Amino acid sequence: MTAPLLTVSGVHRSFGAVRALRDISFEVEPGTMVALVGRSGSGKTTLLNVIGGLDRPDSGTVTVDGVDVTALDEDGLSQLRRERVSYVFQTFGLIPVLSAAENVGVPLRLARVDRPDRERRVELLLDLVGLAGHARQRPGELSGGQQQRVAIARALAASPRLLIADEPTGQLDAETGLAVMGLIRGVVESEGVTALVSTHDPVMMALADRVIHIADGRLTT
Amino acid sequence: MIALLTRRARAQWPLLLSLLAVLTLGATLLGTCALLVTHTSERAVEVAASRADPDDVEVTAYTVTIAAADARSVAADTRTVLTSAIAPFSATTSTRASSNMRTLPSHTDEDRGLLSEVYLSGVDGLRDQARLIAGRWPEKSGDTVLFDNTARLLGLKVGSRVHLGAELGRDPAPPMNVTVVGLVHPLPDAGWDRDPLGGTGYDPDPKDAVYAQDVNAYGPFLVTLDDLLASGSALDRLEVTARPDLSAPTGPALDRLRASVNGADRRLGGVLGDRVSIERVASPLPKTLFDDRSQQELTAGSVLALALIGILLTAIALALAGRLTTGVRAEESALLTALGTSRGQAALAAAVEAAALAALAAALAVPASSVLHSLLTHMQPLAGAGLAARPAVTGVQVLAVGCGAVALALLHVGLAVRPVAAGGERRGRRELLARSGADLLLFALAAVGWWQLRAQPAGAGSRADAVRVLAPALLLTAGTALTLRLLPPLLRRAEGLAGQARGLVLPLAGFQAARRPQAYAAGLLIGLACAAATFGTAFGSTWTVSQHEQADLSVGTDLALTLDAPPVTGQSAEVAAATGGVISPVADRNVAVGQWLGGSGASPRLVAMDTRHAADLLRGRGSDSVADGLTPASAVTGPLLPAGSTPTITGTATRDTPVLVTPRLLLQDDAGLRTACSGPPIVLDGRPHRVPGCVTVAGLRLVAVALPFSGGWEGQPNSGIDITMTLPGADSSPGSAAEPVTWSARAASAEAGQLTAPAVTAAGNRLRFRADVQFADPADLSRVLVATTFPDPGPMPLVVAERFATDVSARAGTKLSLTFGLTPINAVVSRIVPAIPSAPGSPAALADVDTLSRVLVAHGDFDSPVTGWWAGHARSADGLHLGKITTRTGETARLVGSPLRSSLPAVLKVLVAAAVALLLGGVVLHVAYDVQLRALEVARLRGLGMSRRDIRAALLGEHAAVLLPLIVAGALVGAIATWAVAPLLIRSDTGAAPVPPATAHWPWGAFGILAAVLILGAGLAVAIVVTVQARRADAAHLRVAS
Ligand SMILES: Nc1ncnc2c1ncn2[C@@H]1O[C@H](COP(=O)(O)OP(=O)(O)OP(=O)(O)O)[C@@H](O)[C@H]1O
Ligand SMILES: [Mg+2]
Repeated sequence: MTAPLLTVSGVHRSFGAVRALRDISFEVEPGTMVALVGRSGSGKTTLLNVIGGLDRPDSGTVTVDGVDVTALDEDGLSQLRRERVSYVFQTFGLIPVLSAAENVGVPLRLARVDRPDRERRVELLLDLVGLAGHARQRPGELSGGQQQRVAIARALAASPRLLIADEPTGQLDAETGLAVMGLIRGVVESEGVTALVSTHDPVMMALADRVIHIADGRLTT
Repeated sequence: MIALLTRRARAQWPLLLSLLAVLTLGATLLGTCALLVTHTSERAVEVAASRADPDDVEVTAYTVTIAAADARSVAADTRTVLTSAIAPFSATTSTRASSNMRTLPSHTDEDRGLLSEVYLSGVDGLRDQARLIAGRWPEKSGDTVLFDNTARLLGLKVGSRVHLGAELGRDPAPPMNVTVVGLVHPLPDAGWDRDPLGGTGYDPDPKDAVYAQDVNAYGPFLVTLDDLLASGSALDRLEVTARPDLSAPTGPALDRLRASVNGADRRLGGVLGDRVSIERVASPLPKTLFDDRSQQELTAGSVLALALIGILLTAIALALAGRLTTGVRAEESALLTALGTSRGQAALAAAVEAAALAALAAALAVPASSVLHSLLTHMQPLAGAGLAARPAVTGVQVLAVGCGAVALALLHVGLAVRPVAAGGERRGRRELLARSGADLLLFALAAVGWWQLRAQPAGAGSRADAVRVLAPALLLTAGTALTLRLLPPLLRRAEGLAGQARGLVLPLAGFQAARRPQAYAAGLLIGLACAAATFGTAFGSTWTVSQHEQADLSVGTDLALTLDAPPVTGQSAEVAAATGGVISPVADRNVAVGQWLGGSGASPRLVAMDTRHAADLLRGRGSDSVADGLTPASAVTGPLLPAGSTPTITGTATRDTPVLVTPRLLLQDDAGLRTACSGPPIVLDGRPHRVPGCVTVAGLRLVAVALPFSGGWEGQPNSGIDITMTLPGADSSPGSAAEPVTWSARAASAEAGQLTAPAVTAAGNRLRFRADVQFADPADLSRVLVATTFPDPGPMPLVVAERFATDVSARAGTKLSLTFGLTPINAVVSRIVPAIPSAPGSPAALADVDTLSRVLVAHGDFDSPVTGWWAGHARSADGLHLGKITTRTGETARLVGSPLRSSLPAVLKVLVAAAVALLLGGVVLHVAYDVQLRALEVARLRGLGMSRRDIRAALLGEHAAVLLPLIVAGALVGAIATWAVAPLLIRSDTGAAPVPPATAHWPWGAFGILAAVLILGAGLAVAIVVTVQARRADAAHLRVAS
């Protein structure tokens, strides 16, 4: 058995009186796609933010690819997100003034990749998400599904070990959502990344290797 | 609805506060300017009047030829007319009257054709106009005092009884007796120029001598005014001068005064009727007051022009604040609309809110503008101009504040009700078109305004018209609008360059700056505010520099003294000692050029000074080289006469009837001042005759001698003349000049043909003159032998002003014949220059005073042309009571610190301060709104692994990329506007175009400070906002859907 890519152990997070996460512990094998499922307000986003280093737990540790996320400082977290973990947001999170290609190039620029390499990789990724013909369009000129596909391409750009997607299909209709989910499934297989996807759509769950249930901030197997 | 508004106000108080601040600022600006153009303007006219030179506001009535019986009543009636014209101002009047000429039997010899005439004068305030040398002042009837020189000439002393003969002319008053009770010496600058003999005490050739006799006039015999009026003498002239007390005037009273003084001439004519032959009221007062008024109106126009820029800025700032408010409220209003609120209700809500804001702003702005105005008036230059005022509230001010607040609030409502394209900001085609049209219209108007300003007449009288008021604001706005169009393509280029970089910070900043739709209002505000601040700063310094230049050129030198009387021998030393600088005698007189006496109003003027010291003396633009080439090649010298020495003349004439000569000696002092001294008439009888009283001081050199000959026309027609002049103790060594003194002789007027074969020879301390003189023609022709130590200088080189050149169509090399006094002078134009120092704007010519004097002397005109003195690097002129003194610093202070103009620099300060405040406020509003709008985006960038530092750098870079070009472009627009309109807006104190023409002046120091304040201020504001925003960006923002 290989070492787990992600280890969460004993994570607590409260907002005042609201105990958003209570003693969360689980592990994820590399190269798997895990669905995080729970009702609204159950703590999915909070958990994903803690894992991605956008938020800090009150107690407990998160280890990604052997790195203790909870022990990192600001710069360490930035570096973590540049190199190991990337995000796909529910609201796509593209930068409005940049074209699809430029959005995909952002992580590569952050990693200071050379221009020819960058351009080649952007082309490849856009091809992968099926948007080769839309490289120069701005987010405002793309449909919701297309935007989310650009966001996925962007998340993959820096070849992360862990892809975190918080309800990536939440803003999409069922059919498009399914296509996007299929795309994530595809890249998990083709790129060998590990994906952690929150959703409350049962169809999505079917595509995952494993489903983690969360309710009231607790795992419920 | 009220509940909604108050709840909303509580939630959005920072926004509302900024709206209120902008509204209050605009209304305060308006109120302050209203106070400046009404309250301070009116005060300025009053202060200017109260500070006016008494000579500029006195009112004088002249009456001529009054019968003895009417003397008292005419004097009293004239006084009454003047005082009633000046009422309600109190006035002090002084009367000066002179009687008709009477014969002086003791000095009259009918047989020899010699007539001496005298006159009585009565002068109010005699004790202030003359110094008592001996005896006492006249007190009772029959007392008289004389000038010391008159007494000497007539051989009279204190205690002498003088018998005055009958009056000359029709209906003569009988003879009378007076007793000399004192001797006085006239004080300079005390009004003796209006004495019949000009205060000289003696005239060997009075102009009004009616008899073809040898007439000498002596006088005045000063008696008390009452005595004169009661003496039974007819009055030749009576003048009454009234000096109004304008120490506490009011504007309307001054306007009435101007009208009533203008009408006084007619009233005096009506009152005096035919008791006098001529009557006239003359006064510079109406013109002085009128000039004050028009200057004040001109200043008010400029103040309004600058205020307009401020108001425009405020309106744009308000538009920006309004836009941000609607942006923030977009969602809320969409919700309200969705819930069924009608547009009318929304508008009503906006109106109620705006009304509340307007009322609050007005309530704050009234006291604020009063306090600001008062503060301004307590600062220079208004304080120095005597315009300091306590905070006051006036009706006009309240009206201006109220209207301003309401207008601005209405603008706010209009902007709030207009539906905004929330978020997307994709401008509709129609809006773009409208904006292009507005830009075009703006350009057209700005061009028209600029052209109108350029085309304004050079003369006085341009008032505060709409063009002057609108032009600067139009030009600045049009320029800023143009740069806003040029900025996006520029940013796109920058973006292309930034995209080349490998990292994210620079490209992101570039992309954001170039691609995000920038708020037009924010850009306009920042650009225009910077343009206005630059314009205000540069205009201020252009104005000040122009005042300095105008003062420099109008005085022409550091210190100018205009003499009350012709210069006296030895005056150079007195002037040099008093001023302690480089001095030059100056001749400044009107001349006739050919037949031209001055066409369009102004007479041609000749200014002559010592061009050897031009560099030390001349001031004003272009004065460095103006006098080049005018200096004569060599100096004039002559035998040095010991002080107190008395030349003698011995002469013979071959004619059988007596020939008289009245020698005139021309003496030159160390500073080159030449004064003439006349000897007594001398009969050429072979015996020596003394020429006394000429060499009064040391250091005088004899440089010319004029010998006018006279003799009856009976007898032999011509005469050989041989005269020897002995100069006891004369030192003929040439002094500073190396060459020996060579004398040359000529007839003063060769064309008259009355004097031929003139010759002069010098041997030791003797000069021998010979000539043949014709006496056959009884006409009064020139028979004058002139001997000089210098050759005939030939045509006098002139540097002429452009106006002079165009008036006589002269070019370099043109020969001109001038008439100086009565003497014809040949001159040649050597160069044409824009203006002559001391005579800007008039058709003037500059010459060397030495050359001028030589030319005049060569023509036998020994009267000094000198009318004043100039001193360069002068210390002061305290204690010099020779005439009117003007200094360059004084004139500068007068122009810069005049109450009528100091509002302009004051309001410039306000404009610059307001522009800076609005710019920084605009930057804060814009950046804060922008960054808040993009909080989510910032959080996402964090999510992508961008460090806080990099995010901060990208945001700072983005704003710098937008703000810096805006500030630079604004500064450029301001500079261009200054260059284009500031010189055109500046007028001289008479309202005419200034001479020298104003040119834009760049105060680099002030610009540096301004740039530092703007860039550092904006940078600091952006940095703070961005840092706060970058720190706040965290996971929480990611929860918010965009
Ligand atoms: N910044 C915060 N401050 C206070 N409470 C918070 C904050 N973030 C989350 N919570 C609370 O924590 C709990 C978990 O929220 P979370 O966003 O993780 O739920 P979720 O499962 O993602 O819900 P959804 O499916 O609706 O997105 C909720 O009760 C929420 O109110
Ligand atoms: Mg969630």
